[in-house]
Amino acid sequence: MWIEIAHFSTLIALVLSIVLLTAPLIGVFWQRPVWVRIGRQASFIICALLTLACAGLIISFLKHDFSVKYVAEHASLKLPIFYLATAMWGGHEGSLLLWAWMLSLFVAIAAWKHWSTHSVSMPWVLSILGGVLLGFLLLVVFLSSPFDRLINPPFDGRDLNPLLQDPGMVFHPPFLYLGYVGFAIPYAFAMAALITSQSDNEWILATRRWTLFSWAMLTIGIVFGAYWAYYELGWGGYWAWDPVENASFMPWLTGLAFLHSVMVQERRRMFKTWNLFLIITTFALSLLGTFLVRSGVLSSVHAFATDPGRGVYILVFMAVLLLLSFGLLTMKSDQLKETPQLESPLSKEFSFLINNLFLVAGACTVLLGTLYPLAVETLSTAKVSVGAPYYNKVFIPIMLGMLLLMGAGPIIPWQRTTLARLRREFLLPIALGAIGIITALLLGVTHPFGVASVGLILFVTSTHLQDLIRNTKARMDKESLGPLVGFIQLIQRNKRRYGGMLVHLGTLTMVAGFVGSGLFQEERNLFLSLGDTLRIGSWSLTLQSVDKTARRNWKADEAVFKAENNGKTILLKPQKRTYSKSDQPTTEAAIHSAWNEDLYVVMGDAVKEGVWSFRIYRTPLVSWVWTGTGIMIVGVFWAMMQGRRLQRKPV
Amino acid sequence: MTHRFFKDKGTNMNGIWKIILLGAVLAILILFALGLNNDPRNIPSPLVNRPATNFTAPALDGGPPVSLEFYRGKWVLVNFWGSWCISCISEHPYLLELANKAKMRKDFVIIGVDFRDTPEAAKAFLARHGNPGYKQAMDPEQKIAIDWGVYGAPESYLVDPMGTIRMKHTGPLFPGWFEMRALPLMEGGER
Repeated sequence: MWIEIAHFSTLIALVLSIVLLTAPLIGVFWQRPVWVRIGRQASFIICALLTLACAGLIISFLKHDFSVKYVAEHASLKLPIFYLATAMWGGHEGSLLLWAWMLSLFVAIAAWKHWSTHSVSMPWVLSILGGVLLGFLLLVVFLSSPFDRLINPPFDGRDLNPLLQDPGMVFHPPFLYLGYVGFAIPYAFAMAALITSQSDNEWILATRRWTLFSWAMLTIGIVFGAYWAYYELGWGGYWAWDPVENASFMPWLTGLAFLHSVMVQERRRMFKTWNLFLIITTFALSLLGTFLVRSGVLSSVHAFATDPGRGVYILVFMAVLLLLSFGLLTMKSDQLKETPQLESPLSKEFSFLINNLFLVAGACTVLLGTLYPLAVETLSTAKVSVGAPYYNKVFIPIMLGMLLLMGAGPIIPWQRTTLARLRREFLLPIALGAIGIITALLLGVTHPFGVASVGLILFVTSTHLQDLIRNTKARMDKESLGPLVGFIQLIQRNKRRYGGMLVHLGTLTMVAGFVGSGLFQEERNLFLSLGDTLRIGSWSLTLQSVDKTARRNWKADEAVFKAENNGKTILLKPQKRTYSKSDQPTTEAAIHSAWNEDLYVVMGDAVKEGVWSFRIYRTPLVSWVWTGTGIMIVGVFWAMMQGRRLQRKPV
Repeated sequence: MTHRFFKDKGTNMNGIWKIILLGAVLAILILFALGLNNDPRNIPSPLVNRPATNFTAPALDGGPPVSLEFYRGKWVLVNFWGSWCISCISEHPYLLELANKAKMRKDFVIIGVDFRDTPEAAKAFLARHGNPGYKQAMDPEQKIAIDWGVYGAPESYLVDPMGTIRMKHTGPLFPGWFEMRALPLMEGGER
């Protein structure tokens, strides 16, 4: 019953998305505003209908309706209710429906919020988003319907993939999709600006919050994925440069470039074509991400959601969208007038230009590394994989360059400055950076990237703190305030600037985490029997027992380790789980996480009676990666709270 | 001082950039279109066309140890399986059929390698699904499987009379596999 309601509302939403695509265009060409209004109403109804469709699918899951094929394939009677409610996006069909629903929600919000402020571009925005939505709904309805019934319903379902039964994986896809889908709105505004030849600041101002929001969601999605890989896959790491991880990372990089370069357009009316290029590319890469995951064109650990048949459709859809967008960009770009020019390499504009080149070069290296295996396999019979060694060599140096700019950018003023002034500004940070490098060398950091990172972290932190202290002082002197009030006033009145700086500090925290976990991980592979003790770092671990344990839908062998460190004692319980509906055992790593290091124990197979294999990792600073992400997100939302730049008071 | 370099460059796109941009977009799309035909399951083994690592392992039926070298001079199909492997059940009827074929031919034998398994479970599996009758080597600690780079079960390797691995098949062997895949190699001679 519920599934028919869901199916039917999706069908009506499909028809209405054709209305959303065409009605505003009719309104524009025949000068009939009422048709544009029809498009707007259609967007609201589509959103309501797709909400109903998602609800219907979730309710079918909650009611264990195994006559629905999708439910039978992704749930079982024993699946805990939390995973039952979220199994909706555990497979291909449901994920696409979720995508479409989020897009419809964003379209409705955009149609509501920007209706009166952007009346010229609105018809085009609605129509473009209608086209994207139509593309996805066609896929949902005709090629991957989650609403199909089974003629002979099974008594019990096949259960959700055990790897997906993890909180990290529950939140990873929705946030990722929020990010991907969110970029559709700035993209549509950019295209509308191109079409109507009004490529001035209007679209940039309209979409700033959308872009920030999408970028934040993408960040959360990517980090949830990394967190899941770390907690669930049991290999002691969190990022493998897997093609599908890369696919989400590329729009993140170009989106980040866009966030920076729009500031130049806003302040100095420059980089207009470049910004359009960046946002189109970002959305295109988001689609590419979906294409890579959903088509099976690249094989990876994410292979549980592949289907070449749908791949053809997504490819055609992407081809239409890419060729239209980039074609329009190349045709129309000549009409954009760039009034001011770069005046000096000692300016904020110039540092943003270099920042953008670094980020786009970074995205290109990731794109090359992702596509190269595909090219080799397609053009010859060999199969290659591009892994961490390539990215470490090519990508990390680019990002170190980014860090250097991150330290310099916020301090350099717009338009131009003098060398003497720069020398004054950077004296202290450079000195601190140098001290950092020397300390790192003395502490025994030998890897050049590690040494450089430590120096750069100190350099960037000190430029940011120096700026903060100086501006707080200025405010204190001007309005004779106490230090705390002065500081609070400062960051409240410049939410964009200090939100951005907080994001930078979050990034530094993450970089510290990358250095610690990437360069100083200790790994042991060994066979242990009961009572054996080993030392790793300052920890001493004793295998106390190995027992059987069970929950609703799995049973497991569970080892218990007693870990001691300076009088502190904890118990670690790694498991080897077998889910009742799957014959593949999964590992549940036992992780002790502290601010300075993680202790990570993975249980392997029984080698012989009474002897088991174990892998044990001591990884410094992993938690800094997660903490840094949190700081970044707070920073982004702080920056989002300020709308348009405040008008400067006339003197 | 204003730098001429920046003035001239501007940021409007010029012709070359347009061609590069559209060319790159087209190239990526074409690559994907071609790439859709790739089979992600097809992972070539680096061991193909290399000498097979010999093994001598206890036999499941308690007879003399099974050794690959013993069959030098014949084509050998080495089939990795385990009683814990679900896909091996679907492959099994074809193995029974293929075992009959092998009995008729002088140049072709099959060896099973039962890995990560116990003799009891393996025997129960054969009793339940039918015993093809060829030699089964026991590999409880996966020594042979690791030497041969086995990812999962079932996996099969075709070794030529000179002891070189000539083909790897991942996943269950399908009916007609011998005529379609193995015979062309065998009739093509030994390179």
